Amino acid sequence: MTSGKVFKTAALMKEVMARYNEAGKDAKRKSIPVAWVTAVFPVEIIYAAGLFPYYPENFGAVAAARKVADKLSSAAEARGYARDLCGYARCGIGDAYATEHPIGEILKPDLIFCCNTQCGSLPKWFEVAGRFYNVPYFLLDSPRVGIETDQLCKSYYVEQLHEMIAFIEKVTGNPFDYDRLSEVLALSNEACRLWNEILDTAALKPAPFGFFDASFHMAPIVTMRGTQEAVNYYRVLKEEIDERIEQGITAIPDERYKIYFDHIPCWPKLRWFSELFASRGALVAVSQYTHSWAYSFDLERPLESLAESYTHEFVNRCFDYRVQRKIDFMEKYGVDGFVLFSNRSCKPNAIGLYAKSKLIREKTGLPGVVFEADMSDLRFFSEAQVLAKLESFFEQLK
Amino acid sequence: MDITNLIEPFENALKNPATEVRQWKSEQRRRVVGFLMTDVPEELIHAAGFLPYGITGGDAEMEMAETHLQPWVCSYVRNSLSLALGRKLEFLDGLIIPHTCDTTRMLLDLWKHIRPFPYMEDYRLPRQIDRPSAGNYLIKELERIKYGLEQFAGEPIDPDTLKQSIILYNHNRGLLRRIVDIHAQDPTMISSRELYTLINGAMVMPRERVNELLIQIEESLDKSSNHEVNGKFLRLLLSGTLLEPFEILDLIDSCGGAVIGDDFQNGYRYIETDVLVRDDIIEALAGRQLKRIPSAAFDIKDRPRRKYLADLAEEKKAHGVIFLHQSFCEPENFDYYDNLQAMKSAGIPAIRLETQFGRSALGQMRTRIQAFMEMLGGGSQ
Repeated sequence: MTSGKVFKTAALMKEVMARYNEAGKDAKRKSIPVAWVTAVFPVEIIYAAGLFPYYPENFGAVAAARKVADKLSSAAEARGYARDLCGYARCGIGDAYATEHPIGEILKPDLIFCCNTQCGSLPKWFEVAGRFYNVPYFLLDSPRVGIETDQLCKSYYVEQLHEMIAFIEKVTGNPFDYDRLSEVLALSNEACRLWNEILDTAALKPAPFGFFDASFHMAPIVTMRGTQEAVNYYRVLKEEIDERIEQGITAIPDERYKIYFDHIPCWPKLRWFSELFASRGALVAVSQYTHSWAYSFDLERPLESLAESYTHEFVNRCFDYRVQRKIDFMEKYGVDGFVLFSNRSCKPNAIGLYAKSKLIREKTGLPGVVFEADMSDLRFFSEAQVLAKLESFFEQLK
Repeated sequence: MDITNLIEPFENALKNPATEVRQWKSEQRRRVVGFLMTDVPEELIHAAGFLPYGITGGDAEMEMAETHLQPWVCSYVRNSLSLALGRKLEFLDGLIIPHTCDTTRMLLDLWKHIRPFPYMEDYRLPRQIDRPSAGNYLIKELERIKYGLEQFAGEPIDPDTLKQSIILYNHNRGLLRRIVDIHAQDPTMISSRELYTLINGAMVMPRERVNELLIQIEESLDKSSNHEVNGKFLRLLLSGTLLEPFEILDLIDSCGGAVIGDDFQNGYRYIETDVLVRDDIIEALAGRQLKRIPSAAFDIKDRPRRKYLADLAEEKKAHGVIFLHQSFCEPENFDYYDNLQAMKSAGIPAIRLETQFGRSALGQMRTRIQAFMEMLGGGSQ
């Protein structure tokens, strides 16, 4: 049995993302409006309208992974944006003001769309960007949802989708094409289905694929769901994973434990974490984060379906729902313990994490740990402290 | 007539809120519903028969919150939760938390798990308020809050009672606004510290009693006024989410200055807008919320906050602006740079002070405010 082999598909991923980035530049050249959007946003409407969707969060994650978040952030900090603001936002605002662009310039928006399902940092960042670039800003507002389906939140969102479509029609001068939306939704469904099949292979013992692999391969599901490219990409990845299962290639050597991890990875330390867990025979198998893109839209009622999916995403749910969902994942993947990342850049995920950790321990009897860091900024990362926490966690694994 | 005696009950209520509230509870045999400042429909709470109580901070052992909140959670929330953990909010029967940021959006659930009150409710404010959908949604959200209060009260809210509550609160806001005007004309009549003591005291006292006292204060001020505008003071605009600590006001007063405008949750933003008295009461309540002056929580397209501040500074002929920002208040910090640019364009000098609820470095703040006021042409008297 072999393990840790680099995915062949990794090279394809780089190609696909390079093509996506080139398409963004091309859109600028051809005067196709570049629309900034957020990760949990009905991008299907943007694709259907023929606009080019761009993800500043992805820019933040890339800056973080390349360990330049602090450098980019400094141009924002020099203007009074505090270090404790969301790391992605500081990278984006910093890049707007910076004279040096270590990962290339952020793609300038013609329109800015934001959905606040994920957090309140995104709308504040995008408001700032709207003023900086002097372009229209449109917020899709998603009040927090409890355990049950929330009709009020849903109907509010549907009404806003109508407002958004009218806004897009006004900008483009074209009537919105609902047939095209149907096609995009079908492609989105297919990419999500493939993506979740891929994620599910982490439940196999031993598994061919884990959370750190998912973190690497997730860019197309975030940025390109609704396109044929995303579907093609995940087909190829799925085939490779199936091959690996046949050939007995595993994600880590000697998998002895499976771990649940919340939420976003600590990007600049992705390899450090992945090697540390692997060295302890622990496969990080599942996270709510990578499972965020698990939509299944009903083509018969597209707007209602979009509203349900994008407002009822776990990150917008109440404490009890989120605890239960974590436990459901832990059971489904048969984990031996859980690691919760108290990410200072992501307040909706971090606030309440100590209480959640305690509750999950009580309910499942599993060992768990909470560690403090930032998803992008290494100035908030103490290797010694994180390591000490994780070491004591590893000792509790049976 | 000296108004000190009339302001004293407000001071006492802020210093020892529990004493006054407990007395009210035992006299009235009614319950108290608290709220975090200040985007909540107090009129609904009042009409349901409860005493609305604003959590304005207090002497809390902030360390108590450490096991529940990360160190980067803002100090107002740490202070409020610590008060609950230290059993200093035991007189509350309920709590409503308005969603104005990520922290308030996540807080109620956590609070429920560690120190529950019998009635607890999230008030899920719309975060865009420019489009028709915002109003439509807010009306339904207010109806949901109303229904929850009725369930807790055990009886429906009578429409006439609600109308009376609205009239009571409008009266209160009107009285406070009148006192704000008197202060801005001549701060020797009523100081900045006294003014904001009245506004904040109102949040923790029965509103009927507040209005009785305010009527007396206003009459007394009217009698002693020489009706001339006093131009001999430095006119300062303050901006931020929460006005705290009040020692800043003492300092401004003692340096020959006065606060002539602000956009705080516990300042002018609390009293600026009234509820229209009409039959569709819930719509009227929603209308008030949507018309409130801009804050970091709500970007208003045709009334952006930086423009509001610049216009206010011009209208009130402000000499300078003090941005008073709580550490770790993310929405406020995102607004700061553009607000500052608006002040620069308007030619109004500004400084930014960082505060920690109940824990600010007062000495340092004093030095900076004094230097700023000297620069503006004032100074210690």
